Amino acid sequence: MEETEKDRNIRILHSGVFTPLRRWATKWSLWPCHFLTSCCGVELAHTGACGYDMERLGTLNMGISRQANFIMVEGTITRKMARALRIVWEQMPDPKFVNVIGACGQRGGIFWNSYNITRPSDIVPVDFFIPGCPITPESLLRGVRAVQEKIEGRDNTTMRFKHVELPSGDGEQEQNRAPTTPKIFAPTPLVRVDVSRDADWAFGKDMVKNLKAQLNGLYTSITITDKNRIAIKTMPENLVETSRKLSDTMGVDHVKSVNVIDVPHERKFMVEYMVSGYTEELMPVILTIFTEIGREAEPEITSLASLWESANYSERELHDFFGVQFKGNEGMKGKFLLAPDTPDTPLRKDFKLEEEHYTIEEGVPLTPAITPPHYTPPSSSSSYSEFELEDLKMPTYEDVLKEAEKNDEFVAFIGPHHSGSGHLRWVMRMKGDIIKDVIPDPGYVHRSMEKIAENRLYIQNVPLTERPNISDPINMNLGYVRAIENALGIEVPERAMYIRTIMAELSRIGAFFYDMGIFPLFMGHSTGFMYSFAIREMVLELMVRMTGSRCTPSFIIPGGIRRDISDDVLDRTRKFTTAIYKRLKKYENIFVYNPVLISRMKEVGVLTREEAIRCGIVGPFLRASGVEYDVRKAEPYEVYDKLDWEATTGDAGDCLGRIFGRLEEIKQSVEIVRQAVDAVQGMPRGGVISEEILGDYKAASDDIRGYLYNVYGNLVLPKGEWTSVTEAARGTVLYSIISDGESNVPYRVRIITPCWMNLRGIIEASKGERVADFWTVYASFGYFPPEADR
Amino acid sequence: MTEMINTLMETVMSNQVSIPLIEPMLDSLPEIPMLQYMVAFMLWKPLFALLICPGLTVGGITLLFFPWIERKLCGRAQWRVGPHEIVWWLGGVIQLLADSLRFLFQEVIVHKDAHRPYFLQFPFLSFMIFLLPLLFIPAGTIVAIQTPYAIQIILALVCLFPLFILGLGWASNSRFAYIGTVREAFMYFAYEIPFIMAVIAMIILYKTSDPLLMASRQSIPGIILNPVAALVFFIGAAMATGRMPFEIPDSDQELCAGPHVEYSGIAFGLIYVLCYEKGYILSALMTILFLGGGSGPAIAGLGELSGVFWFVVKTYLVLTTLYMLRAVYPRYRLDQGLKLGWSPMLCLALIGLAISLVEVGVMAI
Amino acid sequence: MKMKRMKKVVGPEYNLSEKIKTNVYAVGVAMQESVYPHTMTVFYPKERKKMPDNYRGFILFDPDKCISCFNCSFVCPANAIRMKEAPNKRYYPTVDYGRCIFCHFCIDSCSSGALKATKIHDVAYKDMDEMFTPTEEMIELPEITREDKKYVEYEIEEDDLHLKRTKGEDYLFVEVPQPKEIPMVSTCIDPDSCIGCRVCAEVCEHSAISASVEDGGTLRMKIDTDECTGCGLCVKECSMQILRLVKK
Repeated sequence: MEETEKDRNIRILHSGVFTPLRRWATKWSLWPCHFLTSCCGVELAHTGACGYDMERLGTLNMGISRQANFIMVEGTITRKMARALRIVWEQMPDPKFVNVIGACGQRGGIFWNSYNITRPSDIVPVDFFIPGCPITPESLLRGVRAVQEKIEGRDNTTMRFKHVELPSGDGEQEQNRAPTTPKIFAPTPLVRVDVSRDADWAFGKDMVKNLKAQLNGLYTSITITDKNRIAIKTMPENLVETSRKLSDTMGVDHVKSVNVIDVPHERKFMVEYMVSGYTEELMPVILTIFTEIGREAEPEITSLASLWESANYSERELHDFFGVQFKGNEGMKGKFLLAPDTPDTPLRKDFKLEEEHYTIEEGVPLTPAITPPHYTPPSSSSSYSEFELEDLKMPTYEDVLKEAEKNDEFVAFIGPHHSGSGHLRWVMRMKGDIIKDVIPDPGYVHRSMEKIAENRLYIQNVPLTERPNISDPINMNLGYVRAIENALGIEVPERAMYIRTIMAELSRIGAFFYDMGIFPLFMGHSTGFMYSFAIREMVLELMVRMTGSRCTPSFIIPGGIRRDISDDVLDRTRKFTTAIYKRLKKYENIFVYNPVLISRMKEVGVLTREEAIRCGIVGPFLRASGVEYDVRKAEPYEVYDKLDWEATTGDAGDCLGRIFGRLEEIKQSVEIVRQAVDAVQGMPRGGVISEEILGDYKAASDDIRGYLYNVYGNLVLPKGEWTSVTEAARGTVLYSIISDGESNVPYRVRIITPCWMNLRGIIEASKGERVADFWTVYASFGYFPPEADR
Repeated sequence: MTEMINTLMETVMSNQVSIPLIEPMLDSLPEIPMLQYMVAFMLWKPLFALLICPGLTVGGITLLFFPWIERKLCGRAQWRVGPHEIVWWLGGVIQLLADSLRFLFQEVIVHKDAHRPYFLQFPFLSFMIFLLPLLFIPAGTIVAIQTPYAIQIILALVCLFPLFILGLGWASNSRFAYIGTVREAFMYFAYEIPFIMAVIAMIILYKTSDPLLMASRQSIPGIILNPVAALVFFIGAAMATGRMPFEIPDSDQELCAGPHVEYSGIAFGLIYVLCYEKGYILSALMTILFLGGGSGPAIAGLGELSGVFWFVVKTYLVLTTLYMLRAVYPRYRLDQGLKLGWSPMLCLALIGLAISLVEVGVMAI
Repeated sequence: MKMKRMKKVVGPEYNLSEKIKTNVYAVGVAMQESVYPHTMTVFYPKERKKMPDNYRGFILFDPDKCISCFNCSFVCPANAIRMKEAPNKRYYPTVDYGRCIFCHFCIDSCSSGALKATKIHDVAYKDMDEMFTPTEEMIELPEITREDKKYVEYEIEEDDLHLKRTKGEDYLFVEVPQPKEIPMVSTCIDPDSCIGCRVCAEVCEHSAISASVEDGGTLRMKIDTDECTGCGLCVKECSMQILRLVKK
């Protein structure tokens, strides 16, 4: 049945008197309805930008389904998104074509055993599949060419393999036994998050004394788990009191992460709040308040959202994941991140993901079967809007609708497929032109990163951790790798540290230009988009020369980097630090200092210092509101403390401040890159992987080629919780790895990405602004849905 | 019967477009009666205006190629190339032909909640209405209908445009279309008054509203005589056509093209060219009011076509400038657009009016 | 605590003269660029970007070098590589490009250099089943649809980015040197604990491990150090965890 659906479009084209004209016109006028669900959207943007310019082929990107005739599914279609894909496809006029881009949309890519993905080919008829993760602009254009040729009547895969017979052997070999999985799961591990560790940290010891005095009677134990990390164990009933004490007396003002750890064999959940404060002393310190609750059907704990607003969304997310009720949090009804038909409480240990297979066996399918989400075509009696709300199986917010009607407000449901908001749904209540409230409905790109991470080897998580945000891959990786290095106590060779810093800063520049390229688009300014993506194209050119991949380098591994970088590339990087200014100047003149833009950004979406801290926003957006917190300064890692640079801050806290702050950061990053390249060029080559971790394979210290699995396959982290904070482009990214000390897979990985923390800030900042300003505020935060949803 | 034809031919022959270059050719036309009549009809000024310039031919060319020129020029300013692969040796010049044919052959979806008759009528109706002002716009000395009230009629028709956009949005019955339609209505009030005042300033200055006379009275172009009114008119035109800083009603990223979010197929194709059509008419109006219409150095051999040539060149110049705004400016917010319309533009329009009055007074003295 | 140095960023003044100045700048840039554009477009189907030699594209395989160590399959984060039994009863890798994420961890884990990277990346498949590539099709460089007559290099110079166009087809396969040889061999560290389950012998692809009954009836596994490739499969499989890889 699907097959006929797929061929129907070609049949339409090939019928009637005007067949040649029809074919010709359709061939040169494929308007893609961009379906940028996830990472591949970054490369789609590059294809549309001046580096490749998709418009050359007549493919004008059009976000509106009624006017497009071509869908490019860029990346993962989650269960929540699946119906939207079908509906958009149904909305498009015939004849229409679908290309699926990127491994996620084919057999799942790295997310193949995720609990929340579907396959687009089950949902809509697909014409071409383009492999890659992410695809390159060239392969995306190859897909467009393939569709064009299909319209002309040549429906072919664009690759022809040559079949070579394998050696047949002499028939004497006996069949070998296939090896079992390399993963070791300890059956009943001892999970502890407060493993004491001697750290050379005098301030911490004082602080523990101070804490013990303050929290007299409220805590069970207070331990220094690492430098700058203190774990406070408390009883569930004392959690609120402890937190209030910390907040009142110590100046703890925000939550960095909320985490739940499921320990089924001990019949308990551990709930932990990682909190800190933006005061001079507290900045680098993370206090982990944790408690244990029983593992019943409906476990309950008091919410801290009323005390620390920044915990709100994380608590709702964990309610989805574990079914833990946070009493006092309003969002405990229904699901927040997950779709209605994803399995309940998927992050509990008794929910198992599909096992990996290492050999081709008869009867074992290539991928696990996924039942596509249920879709019913609209019945003739229901009106369109009813159908849309019911069949999308998305929250309809009946009470909001009723209340809005009473107050004479207008409610618009925006997204998840909207030309200007990414894959996130907003319910916007407005009175006239003023936004009264915005209700976010995230999770359309939730790909179950955390569940997958606890089922993979430590080294396999390196590519995984950069997938949330491929516009800033190095920083995402760096956080994860640093947590491992910290746990194993590895010293990274100096050359590798410098190269990692160079790459991290290039990645940061790239991410800023991504945000500042999408921002103009939301303002309808395509020139700004093109100019900033032109500069980003230069950054990616350096990336591909360094690592071999444009967006997903997976280049940083525990102990160093995969291989040394050639002098030629370093030379180019050095030249880049001066070459960037020419185009940056033009970008500033036409976009940033554009009077229309300034009038739209100035004093729009203002977050004061207090509001910013309360909402828990992070990174350059927090600094724009006047908080002097930059992880690179507060808790320097890599070689940031050896280089001469300045972090930026501002007072205004409006959209303009957020943009200008990042513009200045770009310049600082260029400065860092220049200094670091100069330093690396003076260093001897080789030795970029720590010899401690290499063990017997010391010879591979300048290039891991050949021995990656041998070295890293059996990495086991010491018992305890290992938390790293890293300053990624959009803010603090926090990785918290809990290891049981026996398994070679993590017991639990908690990833808190900056966009997830910034979501609350976007909502707060856009309240009371005008409707059009919502997109200004949204874009000024550089919100990247895959990063937020993880 | 013959008498009638003769009278008709007399009327036709008395009002011919004179083109010295092709006159020898016309004289040597073979003695086929119908052909001669046809040529004569074609060169009859009203019909020439209707069919060739500024009417269907030049209008059609504008609609087919101006989106391409816009895309190419913006592409150039944006460090890329724009449409290219389709007939690459001509730089993708027939891109719009492919687009419009594709729209023509594509399914037109009328969704359930739409008001079906209006939903289908309005795109076609508005396309027709948008063509009407062309009857009164002279290209050089050639005009379809010559009346001393031409400018007023054009203005009246131009001010009718937003009604049709409102109709489109209303018939769509969609939330985004609704917001877009309301914005369109607001914007309409914001630009209409300064826009009309700018035109009135020029009517006062030239003491006539006959476009042919206006052109002849611009020994110094109107843009130098009254630059303020020209600026107001230009900004008003940008607002009326929804060009970039004022692309508020159909803002792509906020409202998914606002009023025309639900349109597909040829209905959308017509709406897509609508704003180019509007731009063409307003640019032609600007040429007449401020750039001296078809006046310019006569080109030997072209005769009256020389006026047509200058008219088209000037119109395209204005149109290009209007479209290049896209490469320069992002979009204003609704309230900013309204503020701009109601305060600075209104003030400027008043100043423009004053300048005109003063100049007329000075000239009278 | 280290002294913090934070730079305060202040937005631009926004008065009339500034407005006019910035307007002129913005229009100026647009005018300048439409006359002398800094175009940087690669006309893809007709020309392609020259990717560096370390580019991570489709994967080639050399069965002669393969030691069937399963490392590629074990390390693959997407589980795209699965081993298939060849006619000679050896396990060789297959790649499912419907899952492959081109991280090339497999190539970096292949100590024998049997897996090689190509620069092929622009491919469109008609069917998802075709994306599964058996071993037989990974041996020779596949042929892809190409329309390119030129290749482009981005040259980053001190002043700006320049495009260097060269006529001719870019090559898609680069022969890279073999990975450094670090010979390893499997040894038993505690033969007394051996329970004689023979898993190590069964899993060994090179028949380097054999069982022999010693005097007294104890079963001893013998590892032939010449045959052993140091793949580590037996080490991983050993149920008593008494095998280790050591340097030869």
